[in-house]
Amino acid sequence: MSDWYRDFANSGVGTTITKQLGLPRPAELRRYEPGQPLLPGAAVVGSAGEGRLRDELTRLLKDDGVTVVSPVTVDGGTDGERLAAVLLDATGLTGPTDLAAAHDFLAPAVKRLAPSGRVLVLADPPAGTSSPAQAAARQALEGLVRSLAKELRSGSTANLVHVPLGAEASLASPLRFFLSGRSAYVDGQVLAVTTAELPDAADAEQPLAGKVAVVTGAARGIGAAIARVLARDGAHVVAVDVPAAGEQLAQVANEVGGTAVALDITGDDAGPRLAAQLVARHGGVDVVVHNAGITRDKLLVNMDAARWNSVMAVNLQAQLDITQALLDTEGALKPDARVVSVSSQSGIAGNRGQTNYAASKAGVIGMVRSWAPEFAERGATINAVAPGFIVTEMTAKMPLGTREVGSRLNSLQQGGLPVDVAETIAWLAQPGSAGVNGQVVRVCGQSLLGA
Amino acid sequence: MAPQTRKAAIVGGNRIPFARSNGAYARASNQDMLTATLDGLVARFGLQGQQVGEVVAGAVLKHARDFNLTRESVLGSRLSAATPAYDVQQACGTGLEAAVLVANKIALGQLESGIAGGVDTTSDAPMALNEDMRRVLLAVNNAKTLQQRLSALAGIRPGQLIPEVPRNAEPRTGLAMGDHAAITAAEWEIGREEQDELTVRSHHNLAAAYDRGFFDDLVTPFLGLTRDQNLRPDTSVEKLAKLKPVFGQGEGATMTAGNSTPLTDGASAVLLASDEWAAEHDLPVLAHLVDAQTAAVDYVHGGEGLLMAPAYAVPVLLARNGLTLQDFDFYEVHEAFASTVLATLKAWESPEYCKEKLGLDAPLGSIDRAKLNVHGSSLAAGHPFAATGGRIVATLAKTLHEAGPGKRGLISICAAGGQGVVAILES
Amino acid sequence: MTRTVLDAPPALPALFARAALTARGRGGDLPDTRLARLGVEVDPAHLADYARVCRFPLADSLPVTYPHLLAFPLQVALMTDRAFPLALPGLVHVRNQIDQLAPIGIGAALDVEVWAERFAGHVRGATVDLCATVSAGGAEVWRSRSTYLARGATAPDGAPDADVSVSVGELKRVNAQWQVPADTGRRYAAVSGDVNPIHLSGVTAKAFGFKRAIAHGMWVTSRTLAALAGRLPEALSVDVAFRKPLLLPATVTLSTEQAGGGWDVAVRNATAGTEHLLGTIRPS
Repeated sequence: MSDWYRDFANSGVGTTITKQLGLPRPAELRRYEPGQPLLPGAAVVGSAGEGRLRDELTRLLKDDGVTVVSPVTVDGGTDGERLAAVLLDATGLTGPTDLAAAHDFLAPAVKRLAPSGRVLVLADPPAGTSSPAQAAARQALEGLVRSLAKELRSGSTANLVHVPLGAEASLASPLRFFLSGRSAYVDGQVLAVTTAELPDAADAEQPLAGKVAVVTGAARGIGAAIARVLARDGAHVVAVDVPAAGEQLAQVANEVGGTAVALDITGDDAGPRLAAQLVARHGGVDVVVHNAGITRDKLLVNMDAARWNSVMAVNLQAQLDITQALLDTEGALKPDARVVSVSSQSGIAGNRGQTNYAASKAGVIGMVRSWAPEFAERGATINAVAPGFIVTEMTAKMPLGTREVGSRLNSLQQGGLPVDVAETIAWLAQPGSAGVNGQVVRVCGQSLLGA
Repeated sequence: MAPQTRKAAIVGGNRIPFARSNGAYARASNQDMLTATLDGLVARFGLQGQQVGEVVAGAVLKHARDFNLTRESVLGSRLSAATPAYDVQQACGTGLEAAVLVANKIALGQLESGIAGGVDTTSDAPMALNEDMRRVLLAVNNAKTLQQRLSALAGIRPGQLIPEVPRNAEPRTGLAMGDHAAITAAEWEIGREEQDELTVRSHHNLAAAYDRGFFDDLVTPFLGLTRDQNLRPDTSVEKLAKLKPVFGQGEGATMTAGNSTPLTDGASAVLLASDEWAAEHDLPVLAHLVDAQTAAVDYVHGGEGLLMAPAYAVPVLLARNGLTLQDFDFYEVHEAFASTVLATLKAWESPEYCKEKLGLDAPLGSIDRAKLNVHGSSLAAGHPFAATGGRIVATLAKTLHEAGPGKRGLISICAAGGQGVVAILES
Repeated sequence: MTRTVLDAPPALPALFARAALTARGRGGDLPDTRLARLGVEVDPAHLADYARVCRFPLADSLPVTYPHLLAFPLQVALMTDRAFPLALPGLVHVRNQIDQLAPIGIGAALDVEVWAERFAGHVRGATVDLCATVSAGGAEVWRSRSTYLARGATAPDGAPDADVSVSVGELKRVNAQWQVPADTGRRYAAVSGDVNPIHLSGVTAKAFGFKRAIAHGMWVTSRTLAALAGRLPEALSVDVAFRKPLLLPATVTLSTEQAGGGWDVAVRNATAGTEHLLGTIRPS
């Protein structure tokens, strides 16, 4: 079904009615398409305190062909064009009083934000200072950004990136992601970058050219969308799914010019088998996307062992086993590999009837964080992506009411699409995202659940 | 020209699960099934838009419109449209013969890669016009005036409206293949119980192979079917014993619907290549096709069983390769009927038969039954005539590859018309 | 806007009959109505019949044009409703656009929704677009826009100009020639349910001013797409303009030319060269 409510709310009559009733008006989100400019309009860069990123930000934006206008015009005039992005360098915060500058810059700028605009705040991590006042000011930004994200309308988003001293170079990739249409459904999030060895700039249109990417659960839904986006970005996709889904799997593989591998990832030797094939056929793998997942919902008191065990086996144990097998097999995992695990909002917020699913998806987060330092040492990364309400075959089986409510309970007032999850994963898979490691990126439109 | 020959490598295979006649593929044509099978192979080996040297396949039951079946299937597939293709047909030997043809061209250096396959549908089988009717319609078509046309049409009689349905029968004897097999079974005194035992083993072996994921990279589901429709994992000798004989007569009738292959729809394909091509494409080599041999027998007037030709082909192949029947790690003997397999094995064990019919000084001897059809065969999987060869070649190649280097396997396939195709594979 | 969900597909012969009876006295603006069916499952046997008539291969995913069959009865129901300003008999299908966003598996439960929009002026009357969207698992996988011309009708004041042309390359080379037999309209009617009398026989076609029965535009479209099976992008946009009616029986030619990552196509009369269909197929 199309998003009939969104279409209705944006129709002539619908606009009037929804306005009068005070109903939300979900916007058409700006989504990425190859060839698109990074931003559809101008950006403004401001700072709170004596920040160290402003020049770097301006340079990065200009390199990407973005027009950067000065905050003064924004502050004063009303004739300037609307802004596609508002960036605040808050690395100069020394204490709460500096926050007033943040407000002074943001308020007029945000007022001028165009639909599907972007607010991005860059700051030092609160834990990186011994001064309580400075930590307070840095932490305060989270409250500011998360609230602002809820206030923004028309598909605009606000996010916060923590850039510790020395990790400035790692900023470029997240910056592009958050400003571009790739992050359409990522809202109200806090991301931390770390120092990392960054490769030479890749082809912006084909950042994954020459890379081999394995995607589990690729026959349908989010997995198929991931395969398509990774292939669009230049990767050769090894599409994995259970043998019974072989026909759809072959179709996806043929569509993206990849390779189909029918494999039950919960099998005893699934990891070694996959690793051996990746070595023999593809000379190793650059990108691993653990996407395969199942649900077997029941209230805990009614849940049988089979439901519990099958969900754990597919959603968590297989991710552990396959990653371990790839690490153990000589030549399987490229030194600068990117592993992305699909977690879930349920793993963060919990969900009635999903003790097994939520446990497995929370477990994925634990796994990613635990492995991150080891991955960093070899120049690799491992991250999790936690989708919120994504419109898929799985959600289509929900009762209409639950589905409608679920899809509206977020700041963007609509469900996300599989491609939104796929874009986030493809971004984490980029060579340039070396400084994003051990993170959990929620693709949830700033869901009210578990926020 | 290549100075010397080389052995063709078997890279892998694909087939769709085999369906019972008028089952899951009732509405699928040969072209639909072969195209889907090729697309599955393309997906498995990342061949989208690529040109392989040649695609060789065939079908036993073919519509007139399918005269160029394989090429048409290639054009509908994800392979490059610049991939040449041709059809072959040697009854149930089609699939293996196609593989031999591709392998030989690779051996001679004429091809670097090729796909061999086969497909058959008994659900969408062609029906021919009654011969008299065909003549009438030809006359109508040739008529120049309305009057001539009318007078030609006036020649139609009701009986001519009945179409000729293809039957699984030998044109020269009018006997169904099962009837022929029953004669052979009686001659060789093949008992009911040993047939049923062989059948049960076929089902259990095939089911076990599916369960352990052996077919994960050999089969791609089609039209909702994920495993062979004929497979009965829970069958037993006791259950099979309850079936009534359908071929043969009286007390000696031992052949039932259980220990005979059912009519089946399906398709298979095998990717062959030179070692160099496989290495260039980072593709595995499961096994090599070492040698092959065909034979035919005079089942009409010569007193030999219709399906006994492989018994003749194998000793020729063994002699040429300096091997004995016991020098193999695996045997793939196509189970057209359980009794066919048993009669063939018995023939090789018989000093009399080996001397008189095969002209051998000593019998070929017996084989270790534990090495026979270890991943099931046609009794369990079903037998879409031309697709069986591809199924067996891919299955044996993977079996040998799993067993490790230097293993050897023998394929023996009997075919209508008193023919047989046999081959040796080595890992 | 009102949205009505139907439990079963409307019966087309009855609708066509009703349309003929209620053809007079129509007018006004397009109704703000949407008709929908939820959870529609494709009957594999019907798909096989359709595939045979249009020469599509039978596979696990639907031919690009198949969802039109699910939307069409709803569109007819919309058009036969008294609130619809144009009379169905005499409406001529002049252009059809399809976007397939992702392959649709046979087993998918499909939600189909149709509506009418873009009442536009045309030199010979007025056009209206019958739109459809098909979703699987909540995500839109297919949408279409069928433009119909009502000769002599008048679009409301301020209506935009109709856009019924599709531009293609020269397409000089003939790639295939088809004998299109006289029963093509009946055969396609049997699988599509489009029993519009102009397609069924010479007699019924004459009643509506055609010399002989004419082939369904969507059949010509399908047959053309089927001819390109295996050579099409998985996600694609098809845009075809129906030019002169294809009178049955006929011998026609198909010309195809690679363009923009997809194809330009033309179906023309083999002897006269009359254009029946011009179209573009592009990856989307």
